[in-house]
Amino acid sequence: MKITKFTLVALIILFFQGCTKDVDFNQLDDVNIHSTFIATLIYLNLTAPDFLDDSNKEIRVTNDFIELPISDDSKPYLEKIEFTVITENTFNRNFRLSITFYDEFRQPIYVLQPIINISESSPEMTTVIEIPKQDIPFIYDTEYFGFDIFFPISTDGSTIFINDDTSTFNLKSSAKLFFNHNEI
Amino acid sequence: MRKLSFFIFLLYAIGYTQNKQVLYDFAGLPQTLLLNPGAEVNQKFHIGMPLLSQLSVQGGFTGFSTYDIFVDNGIDINDKIKKAVNNFGKTEFVAINQQLEVFNGGLRLKNNNYLSFGYYQEFDFLAKIPRDLVDLYYDGNTDINRHYSINKLAFRAELLGVFHVGMSKKINEKWNVGARAKIYSSVFNASSKSNTGSFFTEDGNQNIYKQHLDNIGFLMQTSGIFFENGEEFDASYVKSKLLFGGNLGLGIDVGFTHHYSKQWTITGSILDLGFVNNTKNVRSYRLKGDYELEGLQLNFDLNNPENYWTDLKNEFDDSIVLDTVYKSYISFRPVKLNGAASYSFGQKYDDCRFLIDQGLYVNKMGFQLFSTVGAVHSYLAATLFYERRLSKYFQTKITYTADPYSFTNIGLGLSTQIGIFNAYFTADNLLSLSNIYDMKSASFQLGINFIFKDKN
Repeated sequence: MKITKFTLVALIILFFQGCTKDVDFNQLDDVNIHSTFIATLIYLNLTAPDFLDDSNKEIRVTNDFIELPISDDSKPYLEKIEFTVITENTFNRNFRLSITFYDEFRQPIYVLQPIINISESSPEMTTVIEIPKQDIPFIYDTEYFGFDIFFPISTDGSTIFINDDTSTFNLKSSAKLFFNHNEI
Repeated sequence: MRKLSFFIFLLYAIGYTQNKQVLYDFAGLPQTLLLNPGAEVNQKFHIGMPLLSQLSVQGGFTGFSTYDIFVDNGIDINDKIKKAVNNFGKTEFVAINQQLEVFNGGLRLKNNNYLSFGYYQEFDFLAKIPRDLVDLYYDGNTDINRHYSINKLAFRAELLGVFHVGMSKKINEKWNVGARAKIYSSVFNASSKSNTGSFFTEDGNQNIYKQHLDNIGFLMQTSGIFFENGEEFDASYVKSKLLFGGNLGLGIDVGFTHHYSKQWTITGSILDLGFVNNTKNVRSYRLKGDYELEGLQLNFDLNNPENYWTDLKNEFDDSIVLDTVYKSYISFRPVKLNGAASYSFGQKYDDCRFLIDQGLYVNKMGFQLFSTVGAVHSYLAATLFYERRLSKYFQTKITYTADPYSFTNIGLGLSTQIGIFNAYFTADNLLSLSNIYDMKSASFQLGINFIFKDKN
């Protein structure tokens, strides 16, 4: 009988001993989960004809556009974007590459800085361009990305010819998107 | 509010599977017939208190506990999250199961068979979370050449009503067998299993990187979630679907009790060997294909401007094909297996008559095994138990269980019978009661029955 009573008391104590140790759910305010995503972007393999018009005259500025509607789901979390651009130029001419963001009316709203200057006959060169946090909102107003290549007049007066110039201008690019998931 | 939601999620995540190791074969309760239709009960008849004869809640998350993240110990929460992510296994799972008995009754027939019947509602959820997806969310995809795979991604969710009728039959002094037929009425079902595919990034040729969706094969089947005919998911809808208005199915439980010797007993059961034929409000999604992207090659041809984005989207849609399927499908219920071997000892001493009761042992100890076998997930748990009849009115059972959640799961059951009134309560993970936030799993069952014993 004593065993029975003892067991009952033990069971009751066991059932009612439930408690908690110190936890602090306010720590949620301090959560910062930093994740980084890589995305492949554009690439170019341009040769002499790409810089000549129909009458084989050099084009000073050539450009192209990408329509890219960007969802703003990531708006609260995207902190920074870092573009990596790798260029290689075997032309004996300088180039300048500018990337401009356009709104839905094709009005320029943001120009990536710095503009990339590619020297004549330059080997592979890597340029990293960053969009800081304060400029991120421009991304969400962007409907078109414009790529402008400036092809200045040569200093020695030489020009490129469609038939005998095998030079190339190559460009590779990627983007790193830095997120901070601080709202769970 | 988001904190509250997160907290509630974590509490739910301290969840359960469907192992009722404390209740199994405990105290001759009517509910043991639901775990083993071949269990022995000795009452003349019983009635469960409507809506209160069994409330069962179980849940678990194998990954980490609430305490792991929110312990107030001065360490930055981000470090604790990082540690939890680092300790995350190849695949962790979260499971929640809830059952509510609406009614339950039983009576002994003239041929001494025991007929039992009832109706209960069940909600079941299980998700397997592969580490690859956690790493992809937590770190991103900067790990070049790493394949982030969805091969282990699977889940199931179901809400259904179950009407059941079972019979327990004593064949001879050694054998008792039983079976239970079930009719399922499913309110909703969603499942995804046998998924394949991975996402990875490698060094490119034309561009810096080349990104792949490789061998993607994803199927999610649903019924009762998307509505075609203007129905709405409200209380009256749920009620009508639970009561035979939903997608119907059939199932069977079988079980036995074998007295190997006077003191050794072996029991076993197979539960929910059945299926639901999903024919109403069915919608399934199938995603299949391969896709690789090295980037967009710009042509700088102003005379022939290209719509790069539309072309890219079309190419993606052609490569990774999403089909919506409205075809009926059959979902199998997760099968549960129970087995136990027990040894009874210590015959009861009658203090009043100074006699030993030859037919009744007050102690029982043994070993139980539980397993669920399902298309989405399989699970195994092993239990050691000790059961003791404390007095004429009280019976108790203590269990030690090792399962994927924990190797220190102590459970306890109490059953009291005063006259025809029976009440029981079982719970596990009692060691974690000193800090419930540190539980990775928990379960409890409780209920009230009116049990009428045979006067003989």
